[in-house]
Amino acid sequence: MRVERVAKSFNGFKAVDGANLTVEKGQVVAVIGPNGAGKTTLFNLITGHLRPDAGRITFKGEEIAGLPAHRICHKGIARSFQLINIFPRLTVFQNVQVSVLARAGKSGDLFRPVKKMATEETMAILKQVGLAAQANRVSGSLSYGDQKVLEIAIALGNRPELLLLDEPTAGMSPEETAATIALVDHLARSQGLTILFTEHDLDVVFSIAQKIMVMHQGRSIAEGKPDEVRANEEVQRAYLGETA
Amino acid sequence: MRPQPVRPTVEKDATLKRSALLPVAAAFLVLLVLPSFIPSYYVYLFTLIYITALLATSLNFCLGYGGLLQLHHAVFYGLGAYTVAITAVRTSLPLWCGLLLGPLVAAAIGWVMGWFCVRLRGLYFGMLMLALGQLVWTVVYRWYEFTGGDDGIHGLSMPPLIDSLTGCYYLTLVVFFVCLGIMYLMVNSPFGVTLQATRDNPVRSESIGINIRRHQLASFVIAAFFAGVAGVLFVVLERSVSPALLFWSKSAEVLIMCLLGGMSTFLGPSLGAAAVVVLSTVIGIHTEYWLIVLGVILLVLVLFLPQGILGYLEERIGSGRGLKGASEDYVEG
Amino acid sequence: MPGAPARQKTARCPRSIGEDAGDMDLSAIGSQLLVGLSRSMILFIISSGLSLVLGVLRVPNFAHGSLYMLGAFTAFTVATALGGGPGGFWWAVALAPLVVAGICLLVERGLLQAIYHREHLMQMLLTYALVLIFSDLVKLIWGVEYKSLMPPPALTGAFTFLGTSFPRYSLFLLIVGPLVAVALWLFLNRTRLGKICRATATDREMVDALGINSKWVFAAVFVLGGWLAGLGGVFMAPTVNIVLGMDHSIIISAFLIVVVGGLGNVWGALVSALIFGVGESFGVLFWPRFAIVFPFLIAAVLLIIRPSGLLKSVW
Repeated sequence: MRVERVAKSFNGFKAVDGANLTVEKGQVVAVIGPNGAGKTTLFNLITGHLRPDAGRITFKGEEIAGLPAHRICHKGIARSFQLINIFPRLTVFQNVQVSVLARAGKSGDLFRPVKKMATEETMAILKQVGLAAQANRVSGSLSYGDQKVLEIAIALGNRPELLLLDEPTAGMSPEETAATIALVDHLARSQGLTILFTEHDLDVVFSIAQKIMVMHQGRSIAEGKPDEVRANEEVQRAYLGETA
Repeated sequence: MRPQPVRPTVEKDATLKRSALLPVAAAFLVLLVLPSFIPSYYVYLFTLIYITALLATSLNFCLGYGGLLQLHHAVFYGLGAYTVAITAVRTSLPLWCGLLLGPLVAAAIGWVMGWFCVRLRGLYFGMLMLALGQLVWTVVYRWYEFTGGDDGIHGLSMPPLIDSLTGCYYLTLVVFFVCLGIMYLMVNSPFGVTLQATRDNPVRSESIGINIRRHQLASFVIAAFFAGVAGVLFVVLERSVSPALLFWSKSAEVLIMCLLGGMSTFLGPSLGAAAVVVLSTVIGIHTEYWLIVLGVILLVLVLFLPQGILGYLEERIGSGRGLKGASEDYVEG
Repeated sequence: MPGAPARQKTARCPRSIGEDAGDMDLSAIGSQLLVGLSRSMILFIISSGLSLVLGVLRVPNFAHGSLYMLGAFTAFTVATALGGGPGGFWWAVALAPLVVAGICLLVERGLLQAIYHREHLMQMLLTYALVLIFSDLVKLIWGVEYKSLMPPPALTGAFTFLGTSFPRYSLFLLIVGPLVAVALWLFLNRTRLGKICRATATDREMVDALGINSKWVFAAVFVLGGWLAGLGGVFMAPTVNIVLGMDHSIIISAFLIVVVGGLGNVWGALVSALIFGVGESFGVLFWPRFAIVFPFLIAAVLLIIRPSGLLKSVW
């Protein structure tokens, strides 16, 4: 996937202003940057929740910028959200099942009993993320950490080629964070999934990312291997400027 | 490992399952023989209950399951009814054509209205529906030559088979069971679960590849269709139509039924419809101030029992399983 | 609900000249414009109250029409109690909206404040319960017969201008409407409470954080909204039959005016009230029988092309 010179502004405020990013198949790529750098906006642009004002976004050589979210999703890009964004009144099982059905193009099926559909794939995903035991619970009643994991499980139901994770560990306890990172790492290694994620915790980023893109004030200021990025002066300035 | 069976969130154990087909069949048989044992006035009342229950269930299909703020569902009820009456008095088509056309006309006009409505959200959706609904009402109310205006159309005659009250009762009973069965299947189909997902979280639904508008429109049209069926049955029972059928307060009445029975349950609206029909009849005998009673019931419901009667019972039965008061957050602001 | 549709007629302005609509000369257009504008003024007074309540309390108050009806009936009682003399109307203008406002205070403290955190459907259903209750209470107190309220002698009849006769009462409304609008503007922009109202409409948390007791702001706004509904009822009373069910016909129009104008935006309500009133009266001119279709048609079209309202919504 390639993102080229993408820009988006809200009422004159340039949230994203010339972001560039290349993600190769099978890579685990992190987008980092201080608060308000435009990371979530960039994600929303890629997944079609927002329409870019300028620039190109191509996925597998195909232009996807400006398509509606559900169309982009069918092209193989799925995402999880920073804030909990699940279907609170459905069961854990149904949360993932809905996603699997949508990918299989069966959402419009009016008369077949849903209980018998896509059960194996759904359960496989739940097992993979460790939620199988909770399958029948109403998802709104899960713990915060489990809801964050369910976030990822819903995205996996789309069987994406590219998975975008927006701060997958935000608000998690250290143990939950470790488990989630292990899960992301496992997904990348075992299924060859391409993962693009944002994260606050730089330890996490440097432990699993093969490539890092740094955003500052809506622009990408560096892109490269973790070591290169760590050594980049502009990056240090952006971060120090923020914390100093 | 075999996946564990999954309870659908919204209907849970209280309604039909495969193993529960027996009680449904039993209930059907009991209702089938009922007219032989009760006075004809009660036969009439039961028929009216089936019709109203079908109307309320159809509303709940897009309101409770789809989360659409459908504030003017009665329009489609009225359209179904008027289609029959107008076919009978303004065309030379046989009556059964009108009976079949009713739901189709309701669904077709529902499609047109819904196409505009699903572009809006929350309160705006409801208000556009109110505007369009009242638009239809005014046309019906004023177009004397075609619709009979505020007098409506009276004195229709029915084919021999459904001319008698018992005939009408059986027709209504069978249609009621078939329609509820179909809607039950739909609610528990991939479409139904996806529809509930769009209700719970439209943004997320879209990001997992669901075309929300198409789903909402489909549920809107399906609901309109079944409301049209109810409207057709109403004409068969009453042999007359009047603009009151599609005035907005009629829609409010149906909303109350859904709330009373429980919008998070499949059979709740039917229960609510039965309760409202029976109460209005019983209280109507004793006082002309039935509305005040209904108003107080509604106040109590909103304040103390927002999940409705069936919803409350299910909560009691299902407590400890992590179920929550359901009716609180299904319509987005 | 029994017989609701039969009531719609009553809300129409009987002074409209729909009868001779075929004769479409300038004077007909002029007087029809005046009738439409005067109707707009009443619609504005009613829907501005609804808009305030929606904007600040976020409650779609279906009982607003009932408050309007109560205003009209109370006006009738006040005027009758004073022997039907010429001063009766003015006493009604002074007292009836206050009575309605008092009822609003009870309703807000007793019921409404319990549902501010609930979703719209529940709020609507609660206020609809009030519609049902008020409707039977009106029936209990005033019965089902038509009532009427005479405007004072100074406002009856018509005056002639450029060969066209204009009803005096319409002209009176044309003066009152802008006065109410200006008063509302002064209230919202020049008084402390008004400023708090506007702030609450746009950012409630902020107002709470500033230590302002939003509880009483809400109560005050609801009372003001009710007062406006009552005032609208009094002003409408001389132009219609005061009858059970007049609430049903006005409330949908009021809601549509508010939504089309931009939720919670009082000036939007003014603009769309003008469109509604004038639209309907010109409908009478061109297509008398379907004139009452026009407001709904206008509302639907405007909602479709400008879904978020003509002016900026405070939501």
